Amino acid sequence: MSSVKLDRRQFLKMLGVGGAGTALAGCDLPTTITLEEGKEEVVSYLLPEEYVIPGVGVYFASTCTQCNAGCGIHGRVREGRVLKIEGNPDSPVNTGKTCMMGQAGVQTHFNPDRITAPMMRKSGRLQTVTWDEATAELNKHVGAQSNLNGGRFAWVTGSVSGHQSVLINELMAQLGSTNHYAHEVVNASVWSAVCQDMLGDAMPRLRIDKAGTILSLGADFLGTWISPVHFAREYAKFRSPAKRGVLVQVETKMTLTGGNADLWVPARAGTEGILALGIANFMVDRGWNKVEIPAAVRAELAEYKIEKVAELTGVAGSKIQRIASLLSERAPGLVLAGAPVESSEQGYASVSAAMLLNIIIGAVGTTIEPATRFSEKALQAKAGDTKSLLAFAKGLQEKRFDVVFISGANPVYTAPDALKLVDGFESVPFKVVFSQFPDETTQKADLVLPMYSAMEDWATHVPAYQTDGAVLSVQQPLMEPLYKDTKGFGDVVIALLKQRSKNYEQFPDYYAYLQTAMMNLPEAVTGPKPVKKEFWNGLLQKGLMVTKGDRATLSAKLSVPVFAHAAHHEGGHDDFMLVPSARMGMFDGRHANVPWIQEAPDQITKVVWDSWAELHPEAAAKLGVANGDLIRIASEHGSIETQVFIHKGIRPDVIGVPLGQGHEEYGRYAKGRGANPLKILNPVLEQKTGELAMYATKVKVSKTRKTVKLVKMGGSDTQAGRQFVLTVSADKLRRTEGEG
Amino acid sequence: MRFKIGCMNISSARNQSTQRAGSGLAFWRGWVALMAFAAFVTVSFSARAELPVPAHIKPPVGTHQGEKVPQPIEFPHNIHVKINKINCMYCHTYARRSNVAGIPPTSKCYGCHKVIATDKPRIVKLMEYWEKGESPRWKKVHDVPDFVHFSHQKHIKRFVFDADFPVEDVQQVCGLCHGELREMTVAEKKKPLNMGFCQRCHKANGGPGDCWKCHK
Repeated sequence: MSSVKLDRRQFLKMLGVGGAGTALAGCDLPTTITLEEGKEEVVSYLLPEEYVIPGVGVYFASTCTQCNAGCGIHGRVREGRVLKIEGNPDSPVNTGKTCMMGQAGVQTHFNPDRITAPMMRKSGRLQTVTWDEATAELNKHVGAQSNLNGGRFAWVTGSVSGHQSVLINELMAQLGSTNHYAHEVVNASVWSAVCQDMLGDAMPRLRIDKAGTILSLGADFLGTWISPVHFAREYAKFRSPAKRGVLVQVETKMTLTGGNADLWVPARAGTEGILALGIANFMVDRGWNKVEIPAAVRAELAEYKIEKVAELTGVAGSKIQRIASLLSERAPGLVLAGAPVESSEQGYASVSAAMLLNIIIGAVGTTIEPATRFSEKALQAKAGDTKSLLAFAKGLQEKRFDVVFISGANPVYTAPDALKLVDGFESVPFKVVFSQFPDETTQKADLVLPMYSAMEDWATHVPAYQTDGAVLSVQQPLMEPLYKDTKGFGDVVIALLKQRSKNYEQFPDYYAYLQTAMMNLPEAVTGPKPVKKEFWNGLLQKGLMVTKGDRATLSAKLSVPVFAHAAHHEGGHDDFMLVPSARMGMFDGRHANVPWIQEAPDQITKVVWDSWAELHPEAAAKLGVANGDLIRIASEHGSIETQVFIHKGIRPDVIGVPLGQGHEEYGRYAKGRGANPLKILNPVLEQKTGELAMYATKVKVSKTRKTVKLVKMGGSDTQAGRQFVLTVSADKLRRTEGEG
Repeated sequence: MRFKIGCMNISSARNQSTQRAGSGLAFWRGWVALMAFAAFVTVSFSARAELPVPAHIKPPVGTHQGEKVPQPIEFPHNIHVKINKINCMYCHTYARRSNVAGIPPTSKCYGCHKVIATDKPRIVKLMEYWEKGESPRWKKVHDVPDFVHFSHQKHIKRFVFDADFPVEDVQQVCGLCHGELREMTVAEKKKPLNMGFCQRCHKANGGPGDCWKCHK
């Protein structure tokens, strides 16, 4: 440090005087700032492809794997490196658009914390080994010569589809195991179950663009629900000036979708289904129903009188009437139900109520259309859920597994402590983790196999949610692998399959398998392909194929769900319902190691690089806490500490803690940052489907004596009279016709 | 394309003169012949002729004395350019297509040298690289900082193609920023390539003056 003391004024003066002189002279200073002659190397191509021009980007088509929506992408590649991701306009899923997670894909790929070589547990510690050693160890436990009892083998994955799904199933069949657990924290499995039971199709197409009014019960369809980029595109059409659809969002904590809503309704947690039935009853009463309602259903619905529903849900009767009027007047309507509703104790019943309302307002057939399925069943998506996590944890506790494979999932991070998954996992004799990053699960493994990134590996993806036609999207490498000691997922699985089956001997690697498998798909699926090689080349050029697929048919089963009890939560002084909300960006925590995602402010609170606990001003006043105060949030199964963020977009009886932070491992950007609310969830089940009811944990909140600085973008929530954004009330506008 | 500069370049003058009366044409023909003779005299009588500056360009002012950077192979620009008269853009083919001029791919060197001068030590070394399937790791000599967006393509377009400047003489344009490569073996930095150097030339030749044109 210099001993010269300058105050701010002197410093600025000096800058002013010195700056004028240096501004001109500076132009002629030698350019040694980044460059010294002969210090950097420049290596030419040996034998470049004709289309390669240094400095000019070439675009290759591939598929985004940042979530499971299956968006088509174009990667800009320059000098052999992928630099930028754009949407593939040919993909009906995202029609040329991407979200922030997709954009951040390059940082997942170039992440400095990638695992670059296999690791094996030796004397209690993970140590770097060669692939030969790793393969020998793998074969010893899982190879054809091993004495593995297939029934004692389990494989945990995320959502899988395409040929990876085929290979996983093949290997499971070879080993004689049925223990495949596809696990996702952010899922729509209860919605799917209800759609299957009431409409006869698990993933019908939702025509947000066609709707006049959308009633969304907690479905954050612009952020995390099912296929957010696709829905955002449809939403833009829904909101086009000519049409100006109306969005009503019912949720306890404001999400990105809630922030966009015309009417934001904070109903009591767990009563959203009852609200839907109240609206249904009111509409049927007025004769606004679009389908014939049997007397029995009418009678059941009649239970849900507006006064009673208002009392149970905490939503004013007038508001319920208004929503019903909107659904009727600005038809066609569409009712959606997302995570907070699906993942509550009576989630199935609540979603059923939403679906019943859909049927009554005539949405089925207008705004809910039959889905198109990809015709090759083996390639269809197997969507992950939380039921599988519970089943896996149970299997671990019962010590039913000798060998466990984990790929595309991080159960040690996502499993609530109450499931005691970690202890059980540690006691499995041989645990293999296929991973790109040193995450929590990887650290507990016996063998870590470093994987190619999604931009280095081959794969095919069939989205669970299909739009126009049935899509199969190809993931092709956008550049050579960064690290020579990483491998492709398919390559490792093919090597294992070869040991037991001659069918795979012809394939030197996954690429060869994929190419053959795609070229041999029946023409009934792909359409005519007179020259198979041309079909393959065309596929890579376009990045996907849109097939006719199979069209499902929708039925509509009118039945009124029964609510075992009016599950609503009366908030006490320090008693809150925990809302562990997912958001676009951080998602379920898989993107916490991506700096661009960490620094992108939360859409509602604008907080960056940390966790927070959202509290309503009333709740904060009761607790006596202010922004930045650290509070302890304790459930029956543990506690977390995080900073308070006060705002009005949340019910006073709930506390919102976002998912994604609180990693104990997972690289320099994620480790030791914030808190993980999943850890303290009570193991409450959704009553019908057996999914984990993530939105049903009651917590006690207490003050600590610590305060931190809440780091967020944007200073205050009000304009403090500065009139940056001029507004006028609708009433005034009407009276003055916009002149006043 | 015309430039806001005092003297007109010869090719556009020729175009104009063909549309005029015969006397003008005769004057220009005579003038061109005179200049050609003068050039011949200059080349013949000076030991080392300066690279002529194209008439349509006001050259950037500034010099720099760079060090001779040792390269994996002492590539002789002089033999290629001065003796064999190979055009700059034959090897640096990306200059007119991209931001960077590019080091020629090793396959390009191999294309000629599989039959030419195969016994020379530098070529033997080159062939060793080719056999190994590697390119030499050249040391960078000319570069601008990462916060400067410079495009070879735009400069070549403006000063060569749009100006109808004969492509065979392109080294006169390249030389404005890269010096007389025809007199060097490996490249040496002879111009400062700093902001003042760029800016003066932009000002003199009517190039863009907005900060964000280069700093984007």
